[in-house]
Amino acid sequence: MTLTRRAAIGAAIGSVVALPAIRPARAASNVLRVGIGTSLSRLDPLLTTIGDEYIYDNLVFNGLTRMAEDLTTQPDLAEKWEYGTDLKSWTFHLRQGVKYHDGSIMVAADVVAMFKRLMDPATTAPSRSNYDMITGVEAPDDHTVVFTLSYPYGGFADIMTDRQVKIVPRGKVDQLATKPIGTGPFKFVSYTPGDRLILAKHTEYFEPGMPKLEGVELRIIPEMSSKLAALQSGELDVVWDLPLEQVKTLAARNDLRVESVPSGSWDAAIMNNLIPPFNNPLVRAAFQLGVDKADVVELTLFGQGAPTISMIPPTHPFYAKTVKIAATDPAAAKKMLAQAGYPNGVSVPIIVPVGRPVRERLGVTLQQLAKPAGFDLQVQRVSYSSFDAEVSGKAPLYIDGYFARPTIDTSTFPFLHTTGSWNSRLWHYKNAKVDEALAAGRLAGDPAEQSKHYIAMQEALNADPAGYIAYSVNFACAYRKSVTGVKTHPMRWFDLRTTVVA
Amino acid sequence: MTAYILRRLLGVVAVVAATTVLIFGIVHILPGNVAYAILGEFATPSAVAALEVKLGLHDPLWLQYWHWLSGLLHGDLGQSLTMDRPAGPVIAEAVGRSAILAGFAFALVAVGGIGLGVHAATHAGRPADHVLGLAQLIFIGVPDFFWAILVILVFASMLGWLPATGYSPISDGFGAWVSHLVLPVLVLAVGLIAHVSRLTRAAMLEALRSRYVLMARAKGLSERRVLWRHAAPNAMLPAITILAIDFGLLIGGVVVIETVFAIPGLGRLLVFAIEHHDLPLLQAGMLVLTTIYALANLAADLAYAALNPRIRYTASA
Repeated sequence: MTLTRRAAIGAAIGSVVALPAIRPARAASNVLRVGIGTSLSRLDPLLTTIGDEYIYDNLVFNGLTRMAEDLTTQPDLAEKWEYGTDLKSWTFHLRQGVKYHDGSIMVAADVVAMFKRLMDPATTAPSRSNYDMITGVEAPDDHTVVFTLSYPYGGFADIMTDRQVKIVPRGKVDQLATKPIGTGPFKFVSYTPGDRLILAKHTEYFEPGMPKLEGVELRIIPEMSSKLAALQSGELDVVWDLPLEQVKTLAARNDLRVESVPSGSWDAAIMNNLIPPFNNPLVRAAFQLGVDKADVVELTLFGQGAPTISMIPPTHPFYAKTVKIAATDPAAAKKMLAQAGYPNGVSVPIIVPVGRPVRERLGVTLQQLAKPAGFDLQVQRVSYSSFDAEVSGKAPLYIDGYFARPTIDTSTFPFLHTTGSWNSRLWHYKNAKVDEALAAGRLAGDPAEQSKHYIAMQEALNADPAGYIAYSVNFACAYRKSVTGVKTHPMRWFDLRTTVVA
Repeated sequence: MTAYILRRLLGVVAVVAATTVLIFGIVHILPGNVAYAILGEFATPSAVAALEVKLGLHDPLWLQYWHWLSGLLHGDLGQSLTMDRPAGPVIAEAVGRSAILAGFAFALVAVGGIGLGVHAATHAGRPADHVLGLAQLIFIGVPDFFWAILVILVFASMLGWLPATGYSPISDGFGAWVSHLVLPVLVLAVGLIAHVSRLTRAAMLEALRSRYVLMARAKGLSERRVLWRHAAPNAMLPAITILAIDFGLLIGGVVVIETVFAIPGLGRLLVFAIEHHDLPLLQAGMLVLTTIYALANLAADLAYAALNPRIRYTASA
């Protein structure tokens, strides 16, 4: 008995000691392993809705156009395009001989079929309303696609860069949910929900010499500390979407490269313009006057972001640098509240979404910073899954935020125009000058003229705020030093065509 | 004994049938809406309405329940709404991974817990007992996510002996499979070993003081025989109850460990389903989990009967 027990203990210890020897060798070389946060739900690009899925969209598929890291629109499956003088007719000329992952050739009919599917209400494509200006799409030949629009739209080539409008073979739509096929630099190999998505090099990719990687693995690791440990031990090469509080600490390490870039994603305190107290423009203006946005960025984002007027980030050429923003003055804000009929200040709950840590922090920050200005805010926490159904567009004051959209028009019009689809789900804002500038902006084809209108919009919004648009959030990733040829994309996806793992 | 087993099996079927109603009812009073969860930043009112119709959310509740139940009886666990694929295979894969994790952890807990408990009882008041008692308190008191992060830091980040996270299927190599399991299994097992061994120690001490043990000793039986033939079977009953509960817990209730170690098991799948308000996936997952719990309890009851003739005879009488 004693002998066997000793033997068993010895064997147990021996096996633990021997474990380093059976450690898995590093996965096949030149495969990039990216740590992401949550399971991908949809593999059909037209139905994707979250950042983790957009990474996949942009690796496996191509759109007609592509958005570079500097936010310019570049050719992708379309080599060139032109538009009629009325901006209502757009013609895209496709590249020839582009091969899908199954070896078949991409043709204009695929593009037409994809947009027909998008516009069909039965598809319930989430981004359908972004393309509601399309009235017709036709393919005069195999390499030409012509769109007709119901109203002039200057940014039409820009919205073709968006995440969902990827070209797929028209006969293989049924298998998109399980065995997706695209034209992108990487082809689908397998997907285990909750674990990993495996992609391999598309050897017949249309851009010669690309991609340089043999494959990509998206590893789903929800816990950030596990993800960072995996990055440190070399099991991961990239960690996507760092928590902003980690950026400075990780940037100090010499085995990693940390990039934090400004993005068009924003958070705001949404104020309901229809019900008291925020139906009074003076109350909204008092809030803006009383709470310093630079302090909010420091406290909520650990400095990883920038104060902004509207959804247009300060790094964008259309940002209104000329608008004079009044210096923060809580005493003046209090006076303004009294003027608005609230001599004793305003007391109102502020609802924050549970499970969105940055937005929760923003709520608590505002509760503290708005106190001296006469706002007594009570933080209430509501689960994010019931947020949309119960809070959005209904509560007087709550925290919400949105990811960057591909164009300035899609970033602003739906949110701020009286008829905008999002306006009715947020603040119910109504301002004639803002409406006019937004409408003029989408009719202008020339960037200089667009800029003029969007600056006018920001001026009007600054004078009569819809709510408290706090900041543009930075987006940050960490890379092992062995990874080269990839830039952090402000739209939160990756372009890995020229990436190499040493 | 056969009648006893049959009756218990019928009981399992009844419990599972009753829980289908409960599960269906409970998940439908959860606040929130899957259409909003699926559409996220695109949840405009018209998009939500269209998707609700497509997903059949406008059917009356009894009809939805009937569709679900008749699907179940045909072996169809339903369609995951967010993933747009059948729930059955998704759950089966998750349960498979959970079962491997749970199987190893359970074996460690059963052997380690009972073994250490008996050891502590037979060495009551001696240094080994004190050391074990202290260790039990520490492992019961400090939550498992602490140990999880600690072992990842030590064995993955600092020493680099074991992978930090993830699950490696056995088809990718036996070594990788084992090395990915070591840390999560250890972390899962230590807390439960502490529980089970504490319980076993107390029950064993009581048994050793009992008159039948005195009787056995008086008969002149060897100490080993007294210990393992007479005292231990009785002392194991409470431990078996706990082990049955632990098994269900290990399969579906170790969300934190599955999250920290990024193991795509049943617990994380259920949390995903709740977060995304994916009711068919949640219902199916909970049903599978209920069945596993019920079967684990059945196994415990049978083990009781095997160890204690009194239960066996009263039950079939």
